[in-house]
Amino acid sequence: MRVDSAAKSLRRVAVWSSRPLRYLLIIVLALAIFSLILLLVGKDPVKAYRDTFAYTFGNAYGLSELLVRMIPLLLAAVAVALPARVGLINVGGEGQLYMGAWLASAGALAFPAMPAWILLPIMAVFGFIGGAVWAAIPGILRAKKLVNETITTLLLNYVAPMIVSFFIFGPWRGVESSSYPQSAAFTDSARLPSFFNTRIHAGLILALAALLLYWLLVEKTRWGVQMRAIGGNPDAAERLGIPIVLFTVVVMAIGGGIAGIAGMGEVSAIQGRLRQGLSPGYGFTGFLIAWLAGARPIGIFLMSLLFAVITSVGDILQITQGLPYAVVNILMAVILFVVLGRRPVRRA
Amino acid sequence: MKNPNLIVVFLVLAALVSLSPAYAQDKPALIVGAIYIGSVNDYGYNRSMKDGLEEMKANIPGLKLIEAENVPETAECERVMENMIQQGAKLIFPTSFGHMDFALNVARRHRDVFFYHPGGYKVEQNFGNFYGKTQTAWFPIGIAAGRMTKTNKIGFVVGQPIGYALGNVNAFQLGARSVNPKVQTIVVVTNSWSDKAKEAAAANALLDQGCDILTMHVDSPAVIIQAAESRGAMSIGFQSIESRRLAPKGWITGLGFTWGKFMTEVAKSVINGTFKPGFVRQGIDEGMMAVAPFGPSVPADVQKQVLDAVDKLAKGFNPFTGPIKDNEGIVRIKEGEVWGNDKMGNFDWYAEGIVGKAK
Amino acid sequence: MIATLLRGVLAGAILSGTLLLYATLGEVITERAGIVNLGLEGILLIGAAVAFAVASVTGSAYLGVLVAAVAGGIAALIFGYLVVSRKANQLASGLAMMFFGTGVSALVGKSYVGAVIEGLPKIRVPWLSSLPWVRGSTLFNWDILVYLAIPMAALAWWLLFRTRWGLGVRAVGENPIAAFASGRRPQLLQYQALFVGGLFGGVAGAHLSVSLTRTWNEGMTAGRGFIAIALVIFSKWHPLRAIAGALVFGGAEALQLQLQARGTQVSPFLLDMFPYLLTLAVLLAWGGARRSAAPAGLGRTFVGIE
Repeated sequence: MRVDSAAKSLRRVAVWSSRPLRYLLIIVLALAIFSLILLLVGKDPVKAYRDTFAYTFGNAYGLSELLVRMIPLLLAAVAVALPARVGLINVGGEGQLYMGAWLASAGALAFPAMPAWILLPIMAVFGFIGGAVWAAIPGILRAKKLVNETITTLLLNYVAPMIVSFFIFGPWRGVESSSYPQSAAFTDSARLPSFFNTRIHAGLILALAALLLYWLLVEKTRWGVQMRAIGGNPDAAERLGIPIVLFTVVVMAIGGGIAGIAGMGEVSAIQGRLRQGLSPGYGFTGFLIAWLAGARPIGIFLMSLLFAVITSVGDILQITQGLPYAVVNILMAVILFVVLGRRPVRRA
Repeated sequence: MKNPNLIVVFLVLAALVSLSPAYAQDKPALIVGAIYIGSVNDYGYNRSMKDGLEEMKANIPGLKLIEAENVPETAECERVMENMIQQGAKLIFPTSFGHMDFALNVARRHRDVFFYHPGGYKVEQNFGNFYGKTQTAWFPIGIAAGRMTKTNKIGFVVGQPIGYALGNVNAFQLGARSVNPKVQTIVVVTNSWSDKAKEAAAANALLDQGCDILTMHVDSPAVIIQAAESRGAMSIGFQSIESRRLAPKGWITGLGFTWGKFMTEVAKSVINGTFKPGFVRQGIDEGMMAVAPFGPSVPADVQKQVLDAVDKLAKGFNPFTGPIKDNEGIVRIKEGEVWGNDKMGNFDWYAEGIVGKAK
Repeated sequence: MIATLLRGVLAGAILSGTLLLYATLGEVITERAGIVNLGLEGILLIGAAVAFAVASVTGSAYLGVLVAAVAGGIAALIFGYLVVSRKANQLASGLAMMFFGTGVSALVGKSYVGAVIEGLPKIRVPWLSSLPWVRGSTLFNWDILVYLAIPMAALAWWLLFRTRWGLGVRAVGENPIAAFASGRRPQLLQYQALFVGGLFGGVAGAHLSVSLTRTWNEGMTAGRGFIAIALVIFSKWHPLRAIAGALVFGGAEALQLQLQARGTQVSPFLLDMFPYLLTLAVLLAWGGARRSAAPAGLGRTFVGIE
């Protein structure tokens, strides 16, 4: 019996996504549907889109913020795309991000005196490990055929922020702000540097590196071939002697680790300390991006950019039209609906 | 992708098209921006902020108010504030504690825009800090509860166990104990300033344990008050005195914020160019806080006792005067010691008679 | 002392568990037809927002529940169009539905945040609710949805196992080709199963907003839809066992709050994790054995449950 794996579907999507016109059509169609919904509630979609462009592309701050937004999105998307190659569904980006942030914070708080060029890589490694372990748990469970990783990664999403809360209310509670749940502020050497007086930070390098790594791993190495074999037909792969259990755990771990780096970026560059509310859903958005991008790196980059713009639409709708920001989820969903609804899969 | 440039070209074209233009506007006296962490219709904290801002707007003709609700305490809120500045805001109220660091970042980038942040502690040339003297104000409320309870068990739902919240509970218990030594305040923490389902379950759990009065420190008192009312218990509100409308039978009293007077002063100072950043803490007597009207079942002598305590506070009484022991018997405030405004965030213990774990 | 704790946990379990049961029942039916709806969370949110909005406008919470059920059904049909007719990947479609539900519910609920509604009225059972141990608690003093919860589970069981329709649904879930060969119309059956699942989901969401909390705010379901999906596995895709699952999880939620209310010296965050970890532990312990109980058709989506 054929297995409808994620990788196969992703590749199917990738086939037509290499035609920019269809890409554009999808976006336009989705925007049209969204505009209809906006009109239904008495809002002005044209004004919304114009305002969005004005605020995001019309000035340097807006443009720089697009890149800032893209950093965690890129990482979260790769965190989904990589395991998808082996047929694994990683919906645990949120939790992995939090655990990466947590462990990276541990590093920052434990070694405040170290110079940046040692501390930052340590924090990045810690961030990776934090996310990797958090993803490896579902990976092991799945590899042992005990529980499907979709459920486990989802449930762990809820546990991770609680672990963070436990630490910032307890052992890591900051002294200067003992009134508020957050860790002590990181020293300057624990802060990722930013460029050009914007908030674009060195996490961008990590994100692009992750994208590059993903491309290399999957397209250019022997492991990549093996991964795709597992993703396409696990039984055949097993018969060929490819160690599925090992691949499952390792690839989940790497995916989770990349999400963990997103967490490290958030606490190191943006927040400067560990606190609650680190992610407005980057993990889930990353999943959508990976799905739409069709597992190709350039697609992931462009889709991350698109979603960064879309989230700006949400901001604009809120400030200028009084709609809740969450409404932008409708737009994201509609894009995915349009993509998913495009071509029925004619396979047994 | 065969031709990613197409998309970029499309986007650039769209940008150019839309950059056209401006919508002519009348010049308002001042544009004020406000971001809320939740919805303003919460009968609670956000409502009190909104009420204060509306009062400010009513007091200053020609003032334009732009607002955004449900702004999370993440990097997102910086963008929202930047957007407001792009729309011409010159005074911004980032109304939730967690907005502070981000607002400060924005303030440092725009020294010509002014900020007043509630509940925080950082002050810079264009960034000030204000809040009510909540902790001590809970003392008279505690007196009301101590007098009204029949089971001697009062339930207190806390959103997050931060120092200020613990201080509120402590002052409340000190007040209750001062008129009723047997009273116990039971604390349940929901780990969120605004998780309605948890608040409902927490309220029910406290009522199950025999509490006959419920009160809270969460963003919105609505769910807890409604739970109490539906099970025949009494309630005390916090954040907004409007919440009394939810409990026609069981309402005792409450503590609310009345920010309007202060906000008006700040807005005027920005218009006149006399903005002064500061660490402002005002209490009931200065008009930043108010004790809610009493409910129908509160006897006159209890009301008098409460209002007398409010008077005492205005004259300088501080309930956090030593010796005060915590609920494990350890002396936390020594004889002769007094904890003032600056220490209100430092609570990490519960006073005698409080059932709960502070850490 | 223990008696009050037990009573509190039981009372809390029933209150919290009701909506979990409805959600789980709906998902059981859906998955029996071979479809996983990860978007259940979105359907719960739509149900909650719609129920609250209708209750605010019309003053009738009952009407709110009815409209919410229909709204949930419609949302499920949208999802159905993607996965049944367009054969899209179920997991991605499900998450898309979750996003959709998050956004639509926020849009619908926006104007009603802070509205005060009467909520579903409580119906007191005359003699039982005055028993000594029961008196003073919420036991036997519930709204209609709580009373109907177990009957609904029985109804779901009857539908799946005692009707021709149910047989067809299960057949489709096991082997759609064989079902088709035997004269059934798999797609129609799947749509119907999805619709019923959506009805249950809408009701579950409604219970949260017009009964438990009598309020609405964005995202208020806080992952309960995903818990329900786990509960489906926990209950081996069987409606009656779902009752146990809903009680256990609802009880876990209630336990941590009751423990706090008694002053237990454990960090509230650790207590908070308990329900989720419990679910994971249960899935772990019985996940392997569950595999054989899953409808075979589900394997096409969940690689690894086969």
